[in-house]
Amino acid sequence: MNGKNDSCEMIRTQLAMLLYGELSFDEEEAVDAHLESCAECRAALDRERVLHAAFDQAEIEPPAQVLWESRQNLQERIASEHALTSSRGANWWDQFVDALMLRPANGSGWMKPAGALALVTLGFLAARVVPNAGVGVVGMSMADPGAQRVRSVEPAPNGGIQIVLDETRQRIVSGGLDDQNIRVLLLSAAKDPSDPGLRYETVGILNDRAQTAEVRDTLIYALEHDENAGVRLKAMDGLKPFVLQPEVRKALAGVLLSDGNPGMRTQAIDLLTQGVGESTGNIGNALDRDVIGTLQELMNRENNAYVRQRGQRVLQLVNASPETY
Amino acid sequence: MAQKTGFQIDEKALIRAAQEGDQDAFGQLVRAYDQSVLRLAMNLLRSPEDAQDVYQEAFLRVYRNLNSFRFDCSFHTWLYRIVTNLCLDQMRKRKVRREESSQVEGADGPVDRMDTLQESRVDGDPQRHLFSGELRERIQKALGELTNRERMVFELRHYQGLKLRNIGEILGTSEEAAKNCLFRATQKMRVALGDFV
Repeated sequence: MNGKNDSCEMIRTQLAMLLYGELSFDEEEAVDAHLESCAECRAALDRERVLHAAFDQAEIEPPAQVLWESRQNLQERIASEHALTSSRGANWWDQFVDALMLRPANGSGWMKPAGALALVTLGFLAARVVPNAGVGVVGMSMADPGAQRVRSVEPAPNGGIQIVLDETRQRIVSGGLDDQNIRVLLLSAAKDPSDPGLRYETVGILNDRAQTAEVRDTLIYALEHDENAGVRLKAMDGLKPFVLQPEVRKALAGVLLSDGNPGMRTQAIDLLTQGVGESTGNIGNALDRDVIGTLQELMNRENNAYVRQRGQRVLQLVNASPETY
Repeated sequence: MAQKTGFQIDEKALIRAAQEGDQDAFGQLVRAYDQSVLRLAMNLLRSPEDAQDVYQEAFLRVYRNLNSFRFDCSFHTWLYRIVTNLCLDQMRKRKVRREESSQVEGADGPVDRMDTLQESRVDGDPQRHLFSGELRERIQKALGELTNRERMVFELRHYQGLKLRNIGEILGTSEEAAKNCLFRATQKMRVALGDFV
């Protein structure tokens, strides 16, 4: 009996490493073999899994604004160092800023729309989202903007010369928001998984054109899928004027029930229940059954005290029961 | 040979280009890593200002010393050595200051600074200070009880998803030592949170 307890104790010390995939092949084999025959250790593994999942709740994703500020401050710091020490060309700094902030060299701010005009600089992004945007190597003019470097030169079998170019292309594409090309780029940038700062700014620009279904779909996509709460919130802002449209209401209901950020859930309650209880005359405003049902479902699962309080208040105002049974 | 297909960039080519003064390449290197650097610093230090300081200093050091980078390790490992050293310095200073709390006084009592930051992006409603759940607070408290090195290893393994071998390389220790550190960290976390999950 003691033997089993000892072996259980030893196995349990390895469960965390098992979940991290950090056991050797032999160690993992031994743990697996033990787990097959020991219900208590399997239960311990389940608890370990719950613990691991709980850790994720404490992770902080830096807000897009903080990332943006960090990039701007870095520009300034490097600029001052560069001014003191560098003998490189005068244009070096401008080009670095463009590369870091993905902005046009002559722009006054990072992807800020000037009136209805969107001026979008896309470095490597352009190559990805616009398959035909680049110029082929054959026939390329050396006057094309973008960094090029000859990596190797060798004679080709046909008597010619083969040159291998390293290329970091940057293109500036400008136009109004009504320009289809600009819109395609913006719609792609809004889903760029690598850069929440870019998505945040892009969604902000698209918010001005949310009356078109294409843009609205992108905002709904961001609202439902973007991993960054700042971007999701921005998308929600853009959808506010369309809150009566079924697809927007459906997306907001989804936020209410599945968004991990309590702020987002609170905002979704506010939007879905606009007008309810604004004045005494409005108390009891008709709130569609779907919203009431969603709120009741929320009450069944919501852990956040403030969100619960907001939901309960709305349900009280429309004389609905606080939960489904 | 440097080749790019779509978004896949040959990092070595980028580094070499940056070493030769290619500004665009340096900017792309920063962009490739700066979000994870900021996230690491923010999670470890729980202060946007301190995290931004680490971000600035780390990339400035990269800028100043890139020419001495000889590809003896990956760029990621080199960068993370800089970042983790800066974070550990900052964490040590905090221990000395004993204890610059990550909590500030809100309208309804003490509030985690990171929560106020996130709330400010939602709107200015002070009631939204109620964001942090009990579980999150407990985890934060338990993380705060770890030693700096345990905290660092836990952060790199759990939140950054790095393998222990890589973590050892970054922290200048063996994989085995990193594993022991992670073991102690998870042990302490389990004890602190055992009744909660």
